[in-house]
Amino acid sequence: MKEFKIGLNAKLDMLKFRDLGINREKEINKASKEIKNNDFQLNDLVKIMHPNGIRVEVTKIIKETDDTKSFYLKPLSIDTMPPFQSGAYITLLVSIDKRTYKRAYSISSSPSSLNEYRITIKKDGNGIVSNYMFNTCAIGDKFNILGPFGNFTYQSLRDQKDVVFIAGGSGITPFMAYLQDEKFLNKINSLTLFYGAKSEFDLIFKKEIDEIKNKNNKIKVIYVLSEQKRDGYSYGLIDEEKLLKEKLDNKSIFISGPIKMYFYLNEIFKKLDIPNKYIRHEIFKEIPENLTDKTFNLTIKMLDKIITIPCKGNETLINSMEKNRVKTLVHCTVGVCGFCRSKLVKGNVLTENTFLRAADKDYYYIHPCVTYPLSDVIIEIPIK
Amino acid sequence: MKDNEFDTIVIGAGNGGLTAALTLQKKGKKVLLLDKGRVPGGFASSFVRGRFEFEASLHELCEYGDESNPGEVYEIFKELGIAKSLETKIIPETFCVYETSTNSYYEMPIGEEKFLEKMESYVPNSKESMTIFFSLCKEVQAAFKYFNETKGHPDSQVLMEKFPRFMVVAPYPVEKVLKEIKMPLRARQILETYWSYLGSPASKLSFAHYASMIYSYIIKGPVILNKNSHQISLALSEEFENSGGTVKYLTGVREILVNNNEVEGIITKDNQKFLTKHIISNISPNVVFEKLIKKENVPLRANQLLNTRILGARGICIYLGLNKTMEELGLKNYSYFIYQTLNSDIEYKRMHSIYNGNLVATLKNYGKDSSILCITSLVFGDEFTRLVNKENYFEIKEKIAEHFVSSFEKNLNVNIKDAIEEIEIATPLTFARYGGHPDGVIYGYLATSYDNLLPRIMTEEQEIFIKGLRFCGGFGSRLSGYSSAYINGHQEALKTLGEDF
Ligand SMILES: Cc1cc2nc3c(=O)[nH]c(=O)nc-3n(C[C@H](O)[C@H](O)[C@H](O)COP(=O)(O)OP(=O)(O)OC[C@H]3O[C@@H](n4cnc5c(N)ncnc54)[C@H](O)[C@@H]3O)c2cc1C
Ligand code: FES
Repeated sequence: MKEFKIGLNAKLDMLKFRDLGINREKEINKASKEIKNNDFQLNDLVKIMHPNGIRVEVTKIIKETDDTKSFYLKPLSIDTMPPFQSGAYITLLVSIDKRTYKRAYSISSSPSSLNEYRITIKKDGNGIVSNYMFNTCAIGDKFNILGPFGNFTYQSLRDQKDVVFIAGGSGITPFMAYLQDEKFLNKINSLTLFYGAKSEFDLIFKKEIDEIKNKNNKIKVIYVLSEQKRDGYSYGLIDEEKLLKEKLDNKSIFISGPIKMYFYLNEIFKKLDIPNKYIRHEIFKEIPENLTDKTFNLTIKMLDKIITIPCKGNETLINSMEKNRVKTLVHCTVGVCGFCRSKLVKGNVLTENTFLRAADKDYYYIHPCVTYPLSDVIIEIPIK
Repeated sequence: MKDNEFDTIVIGAGNGGLTAALTLQKKGKKVLLLDKGRVPGGFASSFVRGRFEFEASLHELCEYGDESNPGEVYEIFKELGIAKSLETKIIPETFCVYETSTNSYYEMPIGEEKFLEKMESYVPNSKESMTIFFSLCKEVQAAFKYFNETKGHPDSQVLMEKFPRFMVVAPYPVEKVLKEIKMPLRARQILETYWSYLGSPASKLSFAHYASMIYSYIIKGPVILNKNSHQISLALSEEFENSGGTVKYLTGVREILVNNNEVEGIITKDNQKFLTKHIISNISPNVVFEKLIKKENVPLRANQLLNTRILGARGICIYLGLNKTMEELGLKNYSYFIYQTLNSDIEYKRMHSIYNGNLVATLKNYGKDSSILCITSLVFGDEFTRLVNKENYFEIKEKIAEHFVSSFEKNLNVNIKDAIEEIEIATPLTFARYGGHPDGVIYGYLATSYDNLLPRIMTEEQEIFIKGLRFCGGFGSRLSGYSSAYINGHQEALKTLGEDF
């Protein structure tokens, strides 16, 4: 090949090559020696949208039903609450006897009122936090919360303009945000809410829902009572017949309620051949059957110490850690968000791994919030 | 050596940091690796929604190949002992590119011969220039190899004798060299398709850099991972720990301690102090010099360099889990570049606006009856930053996603929306949140004439403003991209080994 050149001749090109570094030097020499105060706006917005925890104060408590109360949380550490999308939840940190418990609660207030969030908690059997909140929490109490988080949100691109909400009991909470969400209501054509409870006295927010419905003719509400027959209410379960009356074709169905209700509905949807795409459900924990109440040792390798605590076969590793005053990394509590991701170093466990990354499974990672011990267990968590 | 003393501290467990940390640990050094997040990899990660696991950032890995035809990254992973544990797949095509303004479409295969022939079929009489192009590529690759072997201190005599044509083309941008070898316009534009991967138009992008990248894609094939880039990140991180390295996640660095212009150690956000004489930073020089080092310890020249630099591309990604297979959708390729025009200067200007229509998409089957489509759009400049606030953020995010998915549908004449089962939308805000980089930049600094690959490599040693402080990863000397970050992390580790301990 003849002489290869780009510029006038190859020699000059080579000199140019040598100058690459020198030109850069010159450019640097020209620049100012002072750093212009570069505060990156978007990084600041991150802090507003996703603060690292919020200190809140309870400003109002409303008893909604015999076993359910709403709590209004005002921010102390920031001016207004971070914006959220309807369907989001927060993680509430509650200290009882010097132990810190973390539980997820859907935000039941409107996404457009950010002076406070409202959460609504139903007493859950002997549940620790729900009973504490119901019985002990008082106005003026202060808590830390994390979030908002979650994917139980309406997405215009994926979801249909005709929407069905199915709520069971306290599962109504995320839908309360939706019902007050003007932007959401403007996006859709119709909304049918099925709301199931034992009796009319167990319907949380009935008055609020009726008021909203009366003002907006897109919204239709069907209350279904399972243990009480009464005029104006449907009776029984939210079953195939009742659902079909409202025509489900090409509608997006959002479900929030007890896991049993979800399984029951899912059978119906399978039978009706409704694709997954049309069904969204709030996350919840399935408690496995036949757990033992044996006590094992749980050893936790933390960043700078190793500790061993007792843990029962019928409690998740996270629950045992909470009870034994070990710090936890928890957001959703139900195995979905991945925040508690930890390495299983040794031992047998019963665990739910649907939401683990494929490679994480290969390296024995688990979500301890949905993991039960079957033997002594060693795990590794990046906390102090 | 005391417990809190290390030979090297690596800040940030992204692609560069992980590789650097593991390389040094394997060479017998005592290494501490820190990351503010919980999971290794930085952007090289994945996330689960419903029944889908989405790749967070990797489109395709360059310089990889496979055991029989290994690229530079493969060789590094082999040396580090992780190559065997990765489940990789070579994509049989390089790219397909659409020019929407003219309704043109080009699909390019892998393999030098096939690429050449396909180009000839699209652009008659391109063969001769393409042949010259490939021979230049080979010389560029060999020259880079020599650069590596000499750890960035090449002997100019050797360069001139062995790689004269490399020396000739190296100072020039892609466009200039391709014009000079008389490549027909359309062939040039097709060949330049990957320009957006490097985030600079062909009139600015270093020829040597571009040539080495596209040539590697053509002869080794683009590679993806069956279990996503998270598998690489995890393999590197686990191997680092198994080799005796100390890794601390959820441990952000608050301050880098400097004394007499030398690195002394770091203080973490939770006030732990670790001592070292060598730091490799996987986080950007902006954050290091503006936030982590006390102002009085920052050399003015570091400020000057920062002031010459321009932040590179921001990204918007829409991750879609579809309930149809590629066959059902009627699409057969993995990677799609959709430009309004193949003129990268015009396109680059348009890409300073968010709704520019430029898309890079990847599509793969997922399980038996579904697929994953990831649509990415690059944005230069700070329009997004200026546009969003806490009131409109969700709305804008939704609007952008709607715009991009519609545009993909229209240009490829497919129906995507009816198949969407899961969706996640990442904006520069998302990347700022997870990566911590200024304004959510994903491509490091913009490649400009004085700030592209060669000037960066050639001045790297003289730009160590604080003794013992090096940078790796997307903001490092090899610019952004997976292969660059791995290679650069490896090299920074080797260079650190050459310093006094
Ligand atoms: C995303 C999300 C949103 C949520 N939103 C809401 C909401 O809006 N409102 C709401 O009320 N709840 C909500 N929950 C549920 C809530 O997070 C808590 O799970 C609930 O309040 C129970 O917490 P607890 O501490 O009282 O019960 P836990 O102490 O966690 O106990 C859970 C259950 O186990 C039973 N149990 C406890 N100990 C034992 C034992 N030794 N043997 C057998 N059984 C035992 C309890 O009786 C209880 O039924 C939500 C959950 C999620 C994941
Ligand atoms: S806390 Fe969400 S997965 Fe465990």
